[in-house]
Amino acid sequence: MIKNVLKLIKNEFLLMLRGSIFTIVLFSLLLIASSIFSLAIRNITYDIEITIAFLWIIIFFISLIKVEKVYANDFSEAKLQQYILSPFALEIIVFIKNIMIYLNLIFVFIIFSPLILIILGIKLSYLIPINLLLILSLLSIIFISSMTASITISKNNKLSITSVLTLPLFVPILIFSMALTEIVNFQISKLYLFFIAYFLLNLAFSPLLTSFALKRLSV
Amino acid sequence: MIEIRNLSFARGNDLIFKNISLEVKHGEMMVLKGANGQGKTTLLSNILNFLDPLEGEIIYDGRVIDNATSSKYFLYIGENNFAYDELSLNDNIKYWLAVHNVNFSQEVRDKSIKFLFDELNLNKKFYQLSYGQKKKLQLLLLMLVNKPVWILDDPFNGLDNKTIEKIIILLTKKLENNGLILISSHQDVLTLEHKIFQL
Repeated sequence: MIKNVLKLIKNEFLLMLRGSIFTIVLFSLLLIASSIFSLAIRNITYDIEITIAFLWIIIFFISLIKVEKVYANDFSEAKLQQYILSPFALEIIVFIKNIMIYLNLIFVFIIFSPLILIILGIKLSYLIPINLLLILSLLSIIFISSMTASITISKNNKLSITSVLTLPLFVPILIFSMALTEIVNFQISKLYLFFIAYFLLNLAFSPLLTSFALKRLSV
Repeated sequence: MIEIRNLSFARGNDLIFKNISLEVKHGEMMVLKGANGQGKTTLLSNILNFLDPLEGEIIYDGRVIDNATSSKYFLYIGENNFAYDELSLNDNIKYWLAVHNVNFSQEVRDKSIKFLFDELNLNKKFYQLSYGQKKKLQLLLLMLVNKPVWILDDPFNGLDNKTIEKIIILLTKKLENNGLILISSHQDVLTLEHKIFQL
């Protein structure tokens, strides 16, 4: 069984690599959006929090779009039926897929981040804290997005609207991310622990709810 | 044995079928017949526990079917393809065998592939294959995943005569090994002894 879990992870990794083109396209759009944002407010004096808030919102949307795209493809009815009949719990497959999406987004962001920071006029000394913050917060964002996606891709269009109920779950991440930017130079703070705690909380119920929604709404 | 007792299913206000009862024993094959929209696929989905019936129950070897039973005993090949377009044929085979927690030596796998495909470049991407070849990849699971019950939704659709004959050989072997087969099909290609259930 462990041998096959490893094979599964290896193949999910392969799939993740193949899907990297789409992530690169999304981050290229982020570059364009950042350029437009910088140009639009070039004559205004503003604090770093505004730029970071902009960055966070765009990354939030990128994550939602990416998870949605992966889920629509990887949990189409025929694939989902095979996953349900697999000896592995659907929760495990959901977990592996989420982690692969996370690695994919983080990897591409780390490559793009120096350029994004330069375009947004953020000092490069913030590069590591911003990456660290994203590494911690994106885990929760992906797991919450997976719940949203599992409802939105359902066969029943009327039910899809209920996915908005998951959106408030994103709010604490955005609030705490912004709170961290207010601390001078993103100093190591107990606030970082929040992201770990929030991720653990999400980890406890998100794969369960995601697979429940997939089983009930998409087959 | 699969036993269906007074099964009814509705989608919203539409009653798809009502009070269906049937019985299939190990070593038997049953073919579900019926016009489009009569609920053949829906009935199979009920048996697989993908859908909850409105009324009635489905029992396998004395137990009401749940997720654990269906994943342990049932192998399902549906109408739609489940393989990943972006993976090669070889990677798809490895992936889906891993999903079904199956380990085979390269030799056995190659033998099975040769039986169904004759000659094929395993490095071809899945999207480069024809409809029939794609279907064969799904049917390859029949040879490699060992589960006592096969549930097949229109398995002969899009296949050439030669491949249909090969599938019939597989079905024959399965029945000889006391397997249980449930098929929905529009085509009368089965030369094997089988029960028919008209929906």
